[in-house]
Amino acid sequence: MGQVTDLAVSAILLAGLYATMAYGLGLIYGVLRIVNLNHGGMIMAGAYAGWWLHAQFGIDPYLSLIPVSALAFVVGVVIYRLLVRRLPRGAAGGVQSLLLLFGVWLVLRNAAYLLFSGNDQTIRTSYSTRAVSLAGAFLSVNRLAVFALALLVLLALHLLLTRTYLGKAIRAVAQNPDSCTLVGVPVERIYALTFGLGTALAALAGLLAATLFSFNPDFGATELLKSFVVVVLGGLGSVAGTAVAALILAAVEVFAILALPAYLTAAVGFVLLVLVLVIRPGGLFGQRVLG
Amino acid sequence: MKRILPAWVRPRALIAVAVAAAILAVLPFIHGNRYWHNQLTETLLAIATALAWNWLGGYLGQVSFGHAAMFGVGGFVAARLQIAVGVPMIAAWIGAGVIAGLYALVWGHPTLRLRGPYFSIATIGVGEATRLICTYWVWLTGGSSGMSLPVQVQLKYQLYWYALALALIALAASYALRRSPLGLALLAIKSDVDAAGDVGVSSVRLQDLVLFLSGMTMGICGGFYASYYSFIEPGDMFGFARSISFVLMGVIGGIGTIAGPAIGAVIFVLLRNSLIASYPQLYLGLYGLLLIFVILFEPLGLTGLYMRVLRRARPDLGVTGIAAPESAAPAIGVTPPVEQREAK
Amino acid sequence: MTAVLRAEGLSKRFGGLKANDNVTLSLEKGQILGLIGPNGAGKSTCFAVLAGSIPPTSGRVFLGDQEITGKPAFRVARAGVVRTHQIVRPFANLTVMENCTVAAAECSGRDDAGSRELAREMLRFVGLEKRRNDYPAGLTLAHRKKLEMARALSCAPKALLLDEVIAGVNPVEAREMVALIRRIRDEKGISILMIEHVMAAVMSVCEHVVVLDAGKLIAAGAPKEVVQNAAVIEAYLGKKHA
Repeated sequence: MGQVTDLAVSAILLAGLYATMAYGLGLIYGVLRIVNLNHGGMIMAGAYAGWWLHAQFGIDPYLSLIPVSALAFVVGVVIYRLLVRRLPRGAAGGVQSLLLLFGVWLVLRNAAYLLFSGNDQTIRTSYSTRAVSLAGAFLSVNRLAVFALALLVLLALHLLLTRTYLGKAIRAVAQNPDSCTLVGVPVERIYALTFGLGTALAALAGLLAATLFSFNPDFGATELLKSFVVVVLGGLGSVAGTAVAALILAAVEVFAILALPAYLTAAVGFVLLVLVLVIRPGGLFGQRVLG
Repeated sequence: MKRILPAWVRPRALIAVAVAAAILAVLPFIHGNRYWHNQLTETLLAIATALAWNWLGGYLGQVSFGHAAMFGVGGFVAARLQIAVGVPMIAAWIGAGVIAGLYALVWGHPTLRLRGPYFSIATIGVGEATRLICTYWVWLTGGSSGMSLPVQVQLKYQLYWYALALALIALAASYALRRSPLGLALLAIKSDVDAAGDVGVSSVRLQDLVLFLSGMTMGICGGFYASYYSFIEPGDMFGFARSISFVLMGVIGGIGTIAGPAIGAVIFVLLRNSLIASYPQLYLGLYGLLLIFVILFEPLGLTGLYMRVLRRARPDLGVTGIAAPESAAPAIGVTPPVEQREAK
Repeated sequence: MTAVLRAEGLSKRFGGLKANDNVTLSLEKGQILGLIGPNGAGKSTCFAVLAGSIPPTSGRVFLGDQEITGKPAFRVARAGVVRTHQIVRPFANLTVMENCTVAAAECSGRDDAGSRELAREMLRFVGLEKRRNDYPAGLTLAHRKKLEMARALSCAPKALLLDEVIAGVNPVEAREMVALIRRIRDEKGISILMIEHVMAAVMSVCEHVVVLDAGKLIAAGAPKEVVQNAAVIEAYLGKKHA
């Protein structure tokens, strides 16, 4: 029984990360109707940014969250203004934005190879190996910190989207951009801000993930896939839905380790996706992502 | 007089291809240069793969970032069939192709329920998952160290003509899939899959057909690759870089056009060989920049550029003058692309 | 005589919402039947179920003697029931001619040349022949609606389901549409079920009218009678006016 509790707790902690990771992807898709294929690239960039700041200046990764996210936000806005905005809106832009952002991802990947080499990296702080005893289970400090921070971020997001003017504007644009222009909401600016926000969330999640896992320039592809599974399962527009979907994914992954050899757990996410598609393409909550 | 060919085949196209085929067939005897011979073989194989990718990515508008999965499956199955069971080469390719095509159906059929770009993300997962599983499936692939086929002395030289045949078959299939009545149905599906169903198009069945053909052709190409190099390993066969190369060839040449990807393949092979020589550590980034550049300035790649030039030179030809009727940005069937305000 | 298209006890639920509740209607051969009702009454849902776009929760649909309940849209279209859409959905990457050709090729069972001939004939019938090489993006709304009809006609249907083809066009075009609808029935012998909000059109072209409100069928009869029916007036205007 002890092992099951351990795994369950692991799953919960992991779910926090997955929810934060997925939210950025879902936000951009919900508002701009664009799939940000650079999501993986920004996750990887966030990981490297945190690692670099720690390796060069000894800055604790959890402290560098704010500057890294802020920088990623700016990068996101720039990507939107410079590239994405030029694409045709709507159906015709779909595949093109996909390919465009994929191109950006490739460039980021190459940059990472050049700057940091293709070797695996980890962030090792003084407390990385410490564990805390909580209700009879030993939990690593990092996992707890990541979970706590993820919860904070999700809470902040929820408040932003429901209590602030910006949040309401974002939700309004997501529902009906044309009506928004009619009532004076600066739609283009909202698009840019949302893209920036989604990008920042990706980088943030990447940084958090870097404190838990090792990474290299190829990091991000699996995370993109997992984010996608969470978005499809959880639907759009609901933090709660995203959270539950993240929990399901994390639980399936964690418990799959009991049954499957380690190298197959990466394939678990994909199998889960196919199952969801076959059984319940509408997802579990929130707005349906699929037709 | 009874026509031998279906009505939708333009005699001019047929003659042009026949001439090109004849020239290519005798070319090795003219140049006698081993290096060029190998380059051409690789290019012809690349053409076949690019065209096969385009049936799904261009004609149906479902961009796959994981097509290396079928390429790899084909390669390893073909190699295994020859080594373990002694199947002759061509039969092994075809058998491997069928299995690759079926594999494409297995993951593709449910995944195509995803409309728009979400399918594409799923294909990244397919590629990666396939790579991981096959890397550890030692019996099939020999693990990460790969597997070798017995080298036959003259085979590599002769494979040139097999590659030529492959490329020609793929080109013929591309032409048929586009110009035949089936092609219209595929375009309708691409534009608006539900409305297509409303006028009698069996979308699911046709999508399955394209999935299978695309996967099977990829698989056969994988088998060819295995016979050509006599050594294959999972990281290369199933690699993300390989999947990206198919996307790039299609996009550079002209996604959704009939022969565009073939041109894209030629350009791509040239670029790759010169890049790998000069800047081996920059090729991913350069591919990325190329993608960005093409999408921003001419989404239909070189074919789009060609049509633009032609339209300026011959405005009388009109929009439907050349090749594919899609001169506007290819419409992807996510939402009805044509909307209007209704005065109620 | 068997009706061309018949719905028996059709119900459709979406989660908790009952969009169609035990709807029974029948479209006779050569009839133009109007399906009216206030917004949100479930008319488009009914169409979608009849045409096979969505399966009913319960109930049955018959095309003549053949049961087509729950069959996918493409089979229903090939069998002879074709719908148009309220917000037109032409294939943007195909020309006007190609839009119709693909429908003809899939539904009518003719070969290449025959399909093109049928497509051309339908375009001529609606008056779009001159625009056959244009793309839908270059057409006015009225023309796109005509294209939608021509495309549906290219399927050689037995029953044509028209979804608000008259709404949104100017009065001159509206009169053309009404005349076209009548010609479809008179010259082609196709039975028509039409959803329409423009009452003048309903009154002038429909022989029989069926009224939906909140998913239920509340009245049926000749247009003049139905319009004076108290329940119908109440459905549209509220209790005060009944």
